[in-house]
Amino acid sequence: MRFKLISALKEFRWHQWLVVGVFLLVAGFTTYKAVNMARRMIYWHAHHDEPIHGWMNVGYVAHSYRVPPDVLYLALDLPQTPDKRPLRDIAKVQHRSMDDIRTILQEVIIRARPPNPPPPLPPNPSPNSERSP
Amino acid sequence: MSFTDELLAAFLLYGMPALFGVLVISSIGVPFPVCLMLVAAGSFVAQGEMKLWQVIIVASTASVLGDQIGYGVARWGGRLLVARISHRMGWEVRILKAEAHAKRWGALGIFLSRWLVTPLGPWLNVTSGIAEYSWLRFLLWDALGNLFGVVMFVTLGYFFSGQVQAMADILGDLPWVILGFVVAVILGWKIVQYLRTPNTGAAAPA
Repeated sequence: MRFKLISALKEFRWHQWLVVGVFLLVAGFTTYKAVNMARRMIYWHAHHDEPIHGWMNVGYVAHSYRVPPDVLYLALDLPQTPDKRPLRDIAKVQHRSMDDIRTILQEVIIRARPPNPPPPLPPNPSPNSERSP
Repeated sequence: MSFTDELLAAFLLYGMPALFGVLVISSIGVPFPVCLMLVAAGSFVAQGEMKLWQVIIVASTASVLGDQIGYGVARWGGRLLVARISHRMGWEVRILKAEAHAKRWGALGIFLSRWLVTPLGPWLNVTSGIAEYSWLRFLLWDALGNLFGVVMFVTLGYFFSGQVQAMADILGDLPWVILGFVVAVILGWKIVQYLRTPNTGAAAPA
């Protein structure tokens, strides 16, 4: 069987090898995309909150993180009226970086959310705390 | 911000006109993240910022318009070009075979490429135009496929309205995985056929 396969492969012409080459390329590309997709699905499953991006506006962030938009407007010193501008535009007007805006929003979201499920708090190591066994 | 983020920001700021423009251009053949725009539109519907019926009408109309442009240009421009080239190269029989193939599988191909194998959509518009596939049939299957796709992605966006970015990341790869899988199966089948019927032509007299 193996010998037959090798002998059949040896008789392949250039256009048949071309088909094999394209098959390998397509299979590799598809596998890469499928693995990428699966990785993202696993990540998404583990982290229900998506990172804050510059295209999002305050209303979307409030909706996504399930917090009232008023607290986010207040934290960004904005009037309590719907503001459709993306966060990157707000950052530009307020002379802040997108990282600053992200930090402000994340802090206020942690405070505004109900404690159950507990929000992911940044690690705060204390030297006097005892380790549990 | 990435190009995708710029598109989403424009969608947030300008609403329906931005959605319409992006969908027309992408249907002509420019690879814009259409799934993402539709999922975002569904999210904005869930947030009460847009109306569902408006999104469906605008998105479907834009997609059909872009597809019709691709088909029209190919039918009335590309057809002449192909006729000249095929006459010069002696490919008339091959072109006739391709036309027959397009007429046989056209409806299913057009319908599926609107929402399932979306990277093929602009190509099928062009090949349908060149093959002189019936315009009325093309319009019918194009409109049905686009309507189905728009409703599907907008509904996904509606139900996962707080995870637009995550949905878009996943859905962006999905059409390529499906297309790659289909092409790999076809090529794999071809290779199996090569192995089953080994070449004897090299030894055979010409």
